Amino acid sequence: MAALHHAKAGFKGFMRKAWSPFAATPALGWLLSALAAVLLEKWLGLALAHALGLPKIPMLFGFIIALKKPFLIPGTLAFVFIIYLLPMALVARFSAPLANRASRALLKAPLAVSALVHLALLYAALHVWAEVSDYRDITLRLTMIAVMLTLSLNVINGYMGEFSCSHPGFMALGAYAASVFTVGLFASDRLFGAALLPPQLAPFLFPLALALGGLVASLGALLIAVPSFRTRGDYLAIISLAFTFIVKSLIENLEWVGGPRGLSSQPDLASLPMVFAVCALCVWVINNFVTSILGKATNAVRDDETAAEAMSINTRRTKMAAFMFSAFWAGVAGGLFAHVLRYVNPATFGIQKLAEVLAMVYFGGLNSVLGSVVGAVGISILGEALRPLEIFKWILIPLLLILVMIFRPTGLIAFREFNLRRVLSPKEPPQGRS
Amino acid sequence: MALLTVENMTHSFGGLTAVRNYDLSISPGQIVGLIGPNGAGKTTIFNLITGIYAPDQGRVVLNGEDITGLRPHEIASRGLGRTFQDLRLWRHMTVLEHVMLARYSRLDYGMWGAFWGTPRRWRQEAAAEKKARELIAMLGLSHLADQVVINLPYGAQRRVEMARALALEPKVLFLDEPTVGMTPEELDQIIAIIKRVHRELGLAIFIIEHRLKFVMELCQRLQCLVFGEVIARGTPEEIQNDPKVIEAYLGEEKVA
Amino acid sequence: MTHFLQNLVNALQWGSFYALIALGYSMVYGILMLFNFAHGDIFMVGAYIGFGMASLLLALVAWGGLALPSWLILVLTILVSMFLTAIVGVIVERVAYRPLRDAPRASAAITGLMVGIILETGNLALLGASRVRFPSLIQSVTFDFGGVYVTNKKIMIVAVSISLMIALHQFVKRSKWGMAMRAMAYDYVVVPLMGVPLNTIAALTFGLGSALAAAAGILFSVAYPVLDPYMGIVFGWKAFVAAILGGRGSVLGATLAGFLLGFIEIFVAMVFPSTLRDLIAYSIILVILVFRPHGFFGEPYSARLRL
Repeated sequence: MAALHHAKAGFKGFMRKAWSPFAATPALGWLLSALAAVLLEKWLGLALAHALGLPKIPMLFGFIIALKKPFLIPGTLAFVFIIYLLPMALVARFSAPLANRASRALLKAPLAVSALVHLALLYAALHVWAEVSDYRDITLRLTMIAVMLTLSLNVINGYMGEFSCSHPGFMALGAYAASVFTVGLFASDRLFGAALLPPQLAPFLFPLALALGGLVASLGALLIAVPSFRTRGDYLAIISLAFTFIVKSLIENLEWVGGPRGLSSQPDLASLPMVFAVCALCVWVINNFVTSILGKATNAVRDDETAAEAMSINTRRTKMAAFMFSAFWAGVAGGLFAHVLRYVNPATFGIQKLAEVLAMVYFGGLNSVLGSVVGAVGISILGEALRPLEIFKWILIPLLLILVMIFRPTGLIAFREFNLRRVLSPKEPPQGRS
Repeated sequence: MALLTVENMTHSFGGLTAVRNYDLSISPGQIVGLIGPNGAGKTTIFNLITGIYAPDQGRVVLNGEDITGLRPHEIASRGLGRTFQDLRLWRHMTVLEHVMLARYSRLDYGMWGAFWGTPRRWRQEAAAEKKARELIAMLGLSHLADQVVINLPYGAQRRVEMARALALEPKVLFLDEPTVGMTPEELDQIIAIIKRVHRELGLAIFIIEHRLKFVMELCQRLQCLVFGEVIARGTPEEIQNDPKVIEAYLGEEKVA
Repeated sequence: MTHFLQNLVNALQWGSFYALIALGYSMVYGILMLFNFAHGDIFMVGAYIGFGMASLLLALVAWGGLALPSWLILVLTILVSMFLTAIVGVIVERVAYRPLRDAPRASAAITGLMVGIILETGNLALLGASRVRFPSLIQSVTFDFGGVYVTNKKIMIVAVSISLMIALHQFVKRSKWGMAMRAMAYDYVVVPLMGVPLNTIAALTFGLGSALAAAAGILFSVAYPVLDPYMGIVFGWKAFVAAILGGRGSVLGATLAGFLLGFIEIFVAMVFPSTLRDLIAYSIILVILVFRPHGFFGEPYSARLRL
């Protein structure tokens, strides 16, 4: 036990020492370094891959290729080192003073300006990274949708402490509402006939379609929010589960949206910038909500409802808002999902989807925006990276999740707030200004 | 005119009458105590007045407004703050968050403001934080403001509950056995705090209490409740010498 | 009328599957306050173990070493599979639930969900994606009761299910262990302090529930002999709903709710197109829960929750 403790301390010390060159690198510096790496990959990646004996650029930092063709591992490692690790380390280290100065200057303006600059850089890096292949592009978009779903479910399951199983249902409502809107207006297909509006309008009306999806989902949420006034915990879990089955079964029986065969020919509107913008908006709005007093009222309802009421918190309003708000974003995510895949069918929104979203929420951490992002990105990337293992992936990931639950029952990063200002602040080296 | 009056309140659970024909009148600035043996229905009376249960019969009037049967949050926002006998804190929250949350009814930025972070929201939340910090300082909790409550010692948790109730800016403060489980030292401390709160905020206070030392020192009026009925009311001295009280209440104390 | 009676017989059979599975959910839920989301997959595992047992016994007979009548093979299959599946259930409890006993209940629900996925995938990995056919052990004989057709299999299924339910009821009611289980359901915190071994009771609960699920699995395979690794999902979630609908930890409630669910599904399919079955069944459940938010036999706890 003591030896283990010693080893742990030693490891921590080593990590701290290894990290020390980067202690002064602010978020801006890391984004710059990421941008540098992906640009390098864009220009030199293919040539380097061929030089290292790889058939093409490793799609997911070499995970997939390493699992598929183990003899390519050395080449993959070299690629990752040359393209990602080395340039990122160099840029992060040597751009730090500049990045710190820039961060400080940006923070003099309103926080939103600094946030937008960071987001633009993040988008640029992701865009360049995704340009390399369609696979990356679609994985990235689905990951961002997973972030939205996870975060919105966290509002109910984490922040409000109910066990809601209704998210696939909300998502289905959003997906179908948005799809009916866009397919009906902009596509010529067998269900809705010819397009009613010119397709040039579609990108402008797409946010409206998403909002419609969100609104339909939050109307559906009323079916759960109202019983939640009287019922809590287990019975609410069943009500929400029944809701998911009802929505799924309802759509299966609606022939005009395609019934069990599903609905296709959605116009290609959920492009990377679109998904990124909506996802960023979702994270921002949800973060705003959960850090406000009205949002923290959900925590009070979770921890002690009687005390919440006695302290003048309107618990019905709080529950209603949380359910409808969460459902809204699940609906928007569903709308995006339908337009990324450009096909939906009711079978998508069943138990499997539920297990997936729940896994992401509880893996990442309850009651934490950052946790949800980590959970969604972590499970999504893991799911892709382990793809070569085929079905054994579905033994490995559940096992990992069981371990996380045993050692961190509320998830990896639970009950932690996300302070935008601190994230965007310049970082001074620990020994003071140099 | 009385600040809070309760007239002829009766309530039963199933067939059991827990409170019968209960009357109460508290004037501004007055401290009234409610004593009685365990299971007499004291906490039930609190729950009836604060809206956790709706009384079967009777009227509750706060500051001229009939609040009978309103929901607890409505009653709280009209100026009735309370603490709980079995501490009811929100276990994942910090002291500051507790006190700020009790400012809920003073915020009118709405859900929209919460979602978009409007300037109005920041303004109102800054005001709520300022107020909360004042109260936290008043109860001697400033150094613990950012601690999560479950990590605090028991006495401090009691004070957090009181600070939270005060953040409602109540006209009447209900304290449900504020000294349960306290050492004599903590007892003196809490008496000093209640006195200070009473003096500085000019509150009316209604206390359920077991310890005679405590009610004798604080209360101007006392009621003694046995099996849901008030058997005696008067000044502490009168109550202390009332034979019915001695039989029902002090007698029990002697046996115990 | 005969049409109605025919459906009644079908519903009785259909409901007994739900009821047997729901009992396992309900016991775990009542005693340990856990959602055992892996239970549907335990049902599947039970069916597959039964398949393995039956195939093994049949092979032994064919090989000539044993001369067993096929009804005895069925009885042996049921008994041995119940025992083996009970062991699986105990292992699941030990690995996925016991380490989380002090954790939030939702976390344990997640591990259950994950164990379920592991069981499904494990099966897929071992046996491949093709479905297997449960050997037919009893010759189907149809009796005609004035136009209502009842097969000997149906009679057997309903009879075995009901006797198992009665046996469980007696066990919980009369035996020392049953009493301990009821006490635990009554107070999960204090009873262990009285010297009732929590871990033993938990293992017993999971074992019993899993054994019943295995019986349900084999009976199901007798009626519908095609098995696939995902058969537990649909059944499991529906039985879960039935268990909760029955009320917390109520053996009677879970049984009745299981049968009720079977009846709803069969009769909805009788009146409406069968595609509407789930929609109407779940809508009925939703309405029941909105108006009786604590199930049929569960005690309301909202008063306690409010203070």
